[in-house]
Amino acid sequence: MQEKSFNLLHIFEHRRDAYGFVLRPQHVQRYKEYSSIYKEEEEERSNKWEIFLEQQVHSDQSSSSEEEHREGLEAETSELSEETVTERAGKGDDSSEKSGPHDTSECHGNKEDQLLAESKEEQLSEESGKLVELPPESNKDQTFIEEPEKELHLSGDSKEDQYSEEPGKAAECPKEPAKEAQSSEEPGSEAQLSEEPEKEEQSSEEPGSKAQLSEEPQKEEQLSKEAKIAKIKSWSRIRPSLRKLENMMSSRVKKIHRMKDENAAVNHLSAVKETEVEGKSDSDIEEEVSVNKNSGNSVVASTEETLEANKASSPRSFFPWRELENLVQGGVPKDLRGEVWQAFAGVKARRVQNYYEALLAEEDDADESKDHDKSTVAARKWKRQIEKDIPRTFPGHPALDEHGRDSLRRLLLAYARHNTAVGYCQAMNFFAGLLLLLMPEENAFWTLVGIIDDYFNGYYTEEMIESQVDQLVFEELMRERFPKLVNHLDYLGVQVAWISGPWFLSIFVNMLPWESVLRVWDVILFEGNRVMLFRTALALMDLYGPALVTAKDAGDAITLLQSLTGSTFDSSQLVLTACMGFLSVTEDKLQELREKHRPAVLEIIEERSKKGRVWKDSKGLASKLYSFKHDRGSGGEQKKTCEESSNLDDLLTGPADPEANSLPDLQEQVVWMKVELCRLLEEKRSAILRAEELETALMEMVKEDNRRQLSAKVELLEREIAELQQVLADKKEQEGAMLQVLMRVEQEQRIAEDARLNAERDSAAQKRALTLLQEKYEKSMASIAQMEQRVVMAESMLEATIQYNSGQAKALSSPRSALNQNSTVETPRRRTGLFSLNWRDKNKVSFFLCPLESQLGKFYGAEAVPSGIRERENS
Amino acid sequence: MGCSSSLPDRSSGRLGGVNGSENNGVPDAKNLRVKLVLLGDSGVGKSCIVLRFVRGQFDPTSKVTIGASFLSQTIALQDSTTVKFEIWDTAGQERYAALAPLYYRGAAVAVIVYDITSPDSFNKAQYWVKELQKHGSPDIVMALVGNKADLHENREVSVQDGIDYAEKNGMFFIETSAKTADNINQLFEEIAKRLPRPSTTSAT
Repeated sequence: MQEKSFNLLHIFEHRRDAYGFVLRPQHVQRYKEYSSIYKEEEEERSNKWEIFLEQQVHSDQSSSSEEEHREGLEAETSELSEETVTERAGKGDDSSEKSGPHDTSECHGNKEDQLLAESKEEQLSEESGKLVELPPESNKDQTFIEEPEKELHLSGDSKEDQYSEEPGKAAECPKEPAKEAQSSEEPGSEAQLSEEPEKEEQSSEEPGSKAQLSEEPQKEEQLSKEAKIAKIKSWSRIRPSLRKLENMMSSRVKKIHRMKDENAAVNHLSAVKETEVEGKSDSDIEEEVSVNKNSGNSVVASTEETLEANKASSPRSFFPWRELENLVQGGVPKDLRGEVWQAFAGVKARRVQNYYEALLAEEDDADESKDHDKSTVAARKWKRQIEKDIPRTFPGHPALDEHGRDSLRRLLLAYARHNTAVGYCQAMNFFAGLLLLLMPEENAFWTLVGIIDDYFNGYYTEEMIESQVDQLVFEELMRERFPKLVNHLDYLGVQVAWISGPWFLSIFVNMLPWESVLRVWDVILFEGNRVMLFRTALALMDLYGPALVTAKDAGDAITLLQSLTGSTFDSSQLVLTACMGFLSVTEDKLQELREKHRPAVLEIIEERSKKGRVWKDSKGLASKLYSFKHDRGSGGEQKKTCEESSNLDDLLTGPADPEANSLPDLQEQVVWMKVELCRLLEEKRSAILRAEELETALMEMVKEDNRRQLSAKVELLEREIAELQQVLADKKEQEGAMLQVLMRVEQEQRIAEDARLNAERDSAAQKRALTLLQEKYEKSMASIAQMEQRVVMAESMLEATIQYNSGQAKALSSPRSALNQNSTVETPRRRTGLFSLNWRDKNKVSFFLCPLESQLGKFYGAEAVPSGIRERENS
Repeated sequence: MGCSSSLPDRSSGRLGGVNGSENNGVPDAKNLRVKLVLLGDSGVGKSCIVLRFVRGQFDPTSKVTIGASFLSQTIALQDSTTVKFEIWDTAGQERYAALAPLYYRGAAVAVIVYDITSPDSFNKAQYWVKELQKHGSPDIVMALVGNKADLHENREVSVQDGIDYAEKNGMFFIETSAKTADNINQLFEEIAKRLPRPSTTSAT
């Protein structure tokens, strides 16, 4: 537990995006990846917008003198300070000296537009820091941060009447300084007073770079003021063009109102003017008419309309709508967003002086006086719900501290009073919270009025008719666009509306990452209708449909879609897919489809309410019966039970019972019976309806069952196929293994063969060597034999010679005997010579023979190996 | 129309509606898939119960639910059955009741939640019971849940009231605390046990 709470704390502290919203832990990484892309996009778009707005200023230059004199910075400075000085002086404010430097600093601030746009994150933290740091004594602080901005929005004329009303208002509600300060009609004089001390605190937070720009003597003060205005000042220069835009959009609103007036029996505009408080809420009821009439809501159409309206109201140069549309689709720069949204929503045209204050005052009155009429009961219900939901709106967001929550509460209560048909509906808390982050309270109120009264008219009312209609329309569009996906979802048992319902109702707040939410809102507010809602939802389906087709069951599909949607960080891709990919989804087409589906929704609602009425009727009847019974004083208890059980038998015996005791008025009886008959008929009708419902449910169940059986079969077959495939794969694998083994064996065989061949070759070579050796041996043997022969010959010759010699010696006698002796001495010497030669020859032969024999021995030894192999092979 | 309380008929064997697990690829009684819908007044802690059950977390400052939100969680029972709960957590504000049929239609289980410190929410719970008896699946399993049991010092709806009402309407009753996690898992386990098993006819 402890660990967990620590984790939560950790998440709260560090895991926030550039808007201060909590990031889901699983998204932190992806957000980091995208934050640099966001930054680049932001730079690009703020450049584009700057150029665009500058162009507007130039093209506008001649059209109105008021705007003209705001052109030059110097001029503006003097003008503004003059204006404020005089105005404030006129009001007897003591802060008039301060307004001078204040306005100058505004101009200095201008130069840093770019710088500041780039460091928006800094700004945000700065802002939130401001909110937190504010001294407790000034309840107004939250608003006065944006106070100057408000002043800037307001065009000259409205400013004037606003100021003229000032003193009166201050007198009106002296008890609520906080509220007063928050209203945009406050000139900021009071706020500025309390601003002073705080500014000094903030100077420490200032980035040093700004210090160079301040040339005023009171540097510290100046510095802090610049910081304050930094956020706002960007608009002082481009303001004229923004105002032009605002006027354009305002005329759109006016046109809607005009049409309303034409169509409405009562002139609501005058009603609004007469009784500023009640008039507005009435006019909302007529809104359906305006929405239906204002069908030309596809951008081009609305453009023309607006242009027309513009021409009618004031002759103006052509406004480049296309360009603006492209810019909006590319995203509104962060620090322009608040103002641009106001301009788009037509806040200026919607605004009624004092209306917001009056609503708040009314709220307080209601608190004190405790009426119990119907409207206050409803109001109390809203109030309770609002109280419940305030802490659950962007919990932990730095801007929604105590003061932030107070203004959120006031805003929601005021809206509930303003449009009693809607009152308060969950989801509005998020819208209001989001708007409050971008603009001051009253501006947020009028923007919310624009969104809920116009763009989402009928969406958040008690019956939520239009939101149900839109779901049916969306489903039809889905079927048209993504038939395969819808079929798959049908098969899984997923209804598109389960997922798209929350998307539409929350306008994607909390469903998409914030950058994407804001980009979608940019387009919605610009177009002034719900087309973008459909396009975005379709784009999401387009992006994630392919993934959904892989889902195995309903739960997986929904979980997958939820998580994919929640991580749609590529906001540009989303918006462009939505805007470019679904151009055929136009307001005209949607209106057509809505008309087609609305009757079905109305029918269901009517049926439900009829049932309710039946129930109420029978209840009324019951009470009538009860009093009727009571008069007679008997069987009361029994009656009551029978009424409760609404059982026919009981009811029939019921009246019989008193009949026994006292004769009832026959006429009363008849009336009662008639009523009872009606009730029974009604019951019968609803029973039939119920039966029909059940029947269709049964049919559905049967269908589903069949489908399930089929799918089970398919599943089974698929599994079989898979098994077979598995077996096949196994077999193939085995085959492969066998082949490999075979190949290995073959290889071995080949090696063995080679070895054998080698051995054979060897043996052949050795055989040849053997025969050679044998030949040599034979030759040498032959030569030996020859030599021996020769020896024998020589010996015989020698013997013959000796014999001859001895014969001679005998013949010659003794003198010659000495000679003979010599010669005999000599002959044995020769003989020994011959013998020695013979011996040497023998030696020679053995010298030849020895290696031969050894070689032969070797040969036979070697012969043993191949023969062994051969033997093995043979076996 | 003179609706007597419809007791969930356990012997009926198989549930129509969404209980069937046949879609799941494994058509056996051991892996159930159940659509469950949470209903009840705003702020009684429906989302917190789901979050506690699915993620084991408790966030005292959770967001308002718009429309409905979806989470799923699978639990294993002792008899080695797994039950996959597909939970639709609906928005509490009264007017969102207009959209509720979208979510409770076809649901096999409805968990109706009230806050034991708020009699209003108990009344609202009774409204939902009636609504479901009229328009829900006839064999829907219903559970009545008194949440925020940890705030017993502020209790305004007695345990007995809850038990009595649940008994009268053939519901299962339990008091839970999403904050302390008391009885949260028990709630879902009990529901799982009470589910009609599609197997009872086919397996035996």
